[in-house]
Amino acid sequence: MAETSAISEDFLRQLTAVGEVDILVGVPTFNNRDTIERVLSAVQVGLTKYFHRERCVLINPDGGSTDGTPDIFKNASVEDFGMLLTSNPLRTFHRVSAPYHGIPGKETALRTLFTAADLLRAKACAIFSPDSLSITPEWVDSLIRPVYREEYDFVAPVYQRQKFDGLLARGLISPVVASLYGRRVHEPVGSELGLSGRLACHFLESNVWEEDLTTFGLEIWMTTTAIVNQFRLGESFLGPKIHAAKQFGQDVAGTVRQVVGALFRCLDLHQDFWKRREGASEALPLFGFEYKVALEPLRIGKKGVLDTFRSQVEQLVPILESILTPQTLLHLRNVAQLADRDFHYPDELWVKTIYEFAAAHHRSVINRDHLLQALPPLYRGWVGSFILENQKTDAARMDQRIEALGQEFDRWKSYLTDRWEAGTGGER
Amino acid sequence: MAGDGLWYKDAVIYELHVRGFYDSDGNGAGEFRGLTLKLDYLSDLGVNALWLLPFYPSPLRDDGYDISDYTNIHPAYGTLDDFRMFLDESHRRGIRVITELVLNHTSDQHPWFQQARSSRENPRRDWYVWSDSVERYKQARIIFTDTELSNWAWDPVSKSYYWHRFFSHQPDLNFDNPAVREAAWEVMKFWFEMGVDGLRLDAVPYLVEREGTSCENLPETHDVLKYLRRRADETFSEKMFLAEANQWPRDVRQYFGDGDECHMAFHFPLMPRMFMAIRLEDRKPIVDIFQQTPEIPATCQWGIFLRNHDELTLEMVTDEERDYMYDEFARDTRAKLNLGIRRRLAPLMEGDRRRVELMNGLLMSMPGTPILYYGDEIGMGDNIYLGDRNGVRTPMQWNGGWNAGFSNADPEQLYSPIISNPVYGYQAVNVESQRRYDHSLLSWTKRLIRLRKSSRVFSRGTMEILKPQNHRVLAYIREFGNERVLVVSNLSSQAQAAELDLKRWKGSIPIEMFGGNLFPPIGDLPYLLTLGPYQFYWFRLRRL
Repeated sequence: MAETSAISEDFLRQLTAVGEVDILVGVPTFNNRDTIERVLSAVQVGLTKYFHRERCVLINPDGGSTDGTPDIFKNASVEDFGMLLTSNPLRTFHRVSAPYHGIPGKETALRTLFTAADLLRAKACAIFSPDSLSITPEWVDSLIRPVYREEYDFVAPVYQRQKFDGLLARGLISPVVASLYGRRVHEPVGSELGLSGRLACHFLESNVWEEDLTTFGLEIWMTTTAIVNQFRLGESFLGPKIHAAKQFGQDVAGTVRQVVGALFRCLDLHQDFWKRREGASEALPLFGFEYKVALEPLRIGKKGVLDTFRSQVEQLVPILESILTPQTLLHLRNVAQLADRDFHYPDELWVKTIYEFAAAHHRSVINRDHLLQALPPLYRGWVGSFILENQKTDAARMDQRIEALGQEFDRWKSYLTDRWEAGTGGER
Repeated sequence: MAGDGLWYKDAVIYELHVRGFYDSDGNGAGEFRGLTLKLDYLSDLGVNALWLLPFYPSPLRDDGYDISDYTNIHPAYGTLDDFRMFLDESHRRGIRVITELVLNHTSDQHPWFQQARSSRENPRRDWYVWSDSVERYKQARIIFTDTELSNWAWDPVSKSYYWHRFFSHQPDLNFDNPAVREAAWEVMKFWFEMGVDGLRLDAVPYLVEREGTSCENLPETHDVLKYLRRRADETFSEKMFLAEANQWPRDVRQYFGDGDECHMAFHFPLMPRMFMAIRLEDRKPIVDIFQQTPEIPATCQWGIFLRNHDELTLEMVTDEERDYMYDEFARDTRAKLNLGIRRRLAPLMEGDRRRVELMNGLLMSMPGTPILYYGDEIGMGDNIYLGDRNGVRTPMQWNGGWNAGFSNADPEQLYSPIISNPVYGYQAVNVESQRRYDHSLLSWTKRLIRLRKSSRVFSRGTMEILKPQNHRVLAYIREFGNERVLVVSNLSSQAQAAELDLKRWKGSIPIEMFGGNLFPPIGDLPYLLTLGPYQFYWFRLRRL
């Protein structure tokens, strides 16, 4: 059994009382008093509605909230949601809330949850974000049922997104995962997740917990690790994903650095796998009824995005010269010269940019933090171009557009392989 | 046998069918003389009240619940003199006798009904409920859903419909008619005068019908019961009414009135929840139903049971709970009957002695008067290949010999085949073999009953449910006067630990009641107990 030092004595005492469970649901929190009640309500109603015979526990690892989040969690009861229930739970419903040791963050929270899953011998687990405004009880069923009933190990969410929402996942992370790992995962960094107890234990026994990778890139690591170790993957359609308000640009640079950095680190870890893998990528089995609702458009200031790109490309040329090939850099600088009306960041250039960054990161041609800091401006350029190009594109065409981008990543996979071990520094 | 008149509170009741207990005359069915011969066994077992299934003259189309003469004995079971002898011998051993009284309906062969149907002008016509249309009382549910399509049946003799809540050969009496009430009282008086101690009043919620209602639990029905109780109290002492009302506790509560209606009533919803709790390994169903159980008058008592002569009824559970029970306890669909499961305790527990003991341990320690069903004290099985509920009414298994020691008749002559499968058959499960060993289920049950009767805390005490974090552990305190007992039960198939908040009883010493051993005294810290699979403890809390 894995080390249990990640959890406090009080937490352990509560888990002991819970005993073996069929389903473990985790909602990690940190100052989420405004949204936690809704999430808690949806989860409890979902468990009662869809899993009223199963032994369930709802666990809230809290990172030290000072706004009363754990109290809200502890004090709510199934009876509070009586009006929402169509059936009654047959069993005692356990809620466990405990602060965890260590730095507040998803890594420690999930490690705590995986430890609990191991101790309680959970068959199926699900993790929900504490700030999902659009969560419904059906999400519980969608993420848990494939694991609990169909023996899947990893169920990623599929959200209905506004066409310009989630571009980092759809335009970079997902296509790279598909091309290199061979599985088309719509949301490889989704904040909701279903997983089997055995996969939770597998994650727990990994030796990456002390690395930065898990601090900022846990989701991508879990997704890729599940693929590499041949666990059974699926996806479930959850519907629209609306979370507590965020605007594009609000620390986009930090997010890009963290998530893409984690992806690149995973490519390092799993290079034996993806370099040997051949053939086209496969779609994952999709569960759930796919429906569409009208979503409020996401407003992105195109002008600001493009101006930032243009100015920063020139400022970053000395660094980019270490990372990119001369051809790619030249092409990039030419794109940066284009007027708004003609602005276009071609797919091929975008794919080569990412692959060259990945290879440079692997070879540590410069300090990796500096390398990753050079990427967000380029990402802004691609986003700006993508928005200009697709302003009038409908949802169906948008899917085709993303698929075409994915094919471009597929087409250039050998380009990455060739560059992966090619010398040090950027080729001139 | 004199006392404070509340003997039924301290009773341990044993339910049996005269026909199935012992056949002393070799005709293939038990009778009162045979039962009398087995009273020493029952006395040795420790029970102090018997509840007899119907023994009246009857066409036996519903195992005697279709009575055709209220003041006599079915010839197959003996005579009134035989019954008097049985009654005397029971009382001599300190055993009270509770008989069935089916007031709601008679057999269609009863002279009252024969007269009533003979013409619309017959004076007895209004003793039953008649209609020219089936449109009356449409809101009343059908109880025997497997066999009946309507609560009305056509009478070709008088060319009208008669009302029946159960089988169509059981017409309901009309309790709006004062003559019927008087006749009912005369029947009661007949048996009380003979010495019967209590009457189980069958199907009491259905006595009166009113348009626009479910025809159950009506105020007029309670008026009838109060009338009968008043007459009984005016004439006799220490007689008891036990209501059969398969209803939710809040509805059954009305049958106690203000202590002026029934002395006892069955707690039907508790029973399936005990089975559910042990299967789910979770105390929730039991705790929930006790939370829904109202207080009852001080002179009243719940009757609690695990199994009886009927199916394990699932009327008083939710749809989800019923589905669960069917899935877990009636995988063989032949075990299903109406809204229930026709199985005995041991097969329901898959022959697991530990679970059988735990269920009995719960039964004997919960508030209410426990009722054992004949044969369950030795772990008898059932026969789901027999029709209706006959599979749980097979002959008592006395020994491993001819006809299980039940009868000298030819096996073909027996009223029912004897259980003879390799697991529960009479060669493996019988009184004689279990009498020989202290560790047998029979011997263990005797000890349990003795312990239960050793203190009125179980029969009369209050109950406070404790809530240790471990939901697999059910714990409660029973308290009566200065006496306190802590009951802790592990509902799980695996060993469990539980921390109990017993601060209020700090300084007390828990004394384990089966062995008499002292446990560490209760202090400020949560009291830690570990329990093996399905293990339970009864602790007397003794303050030093």
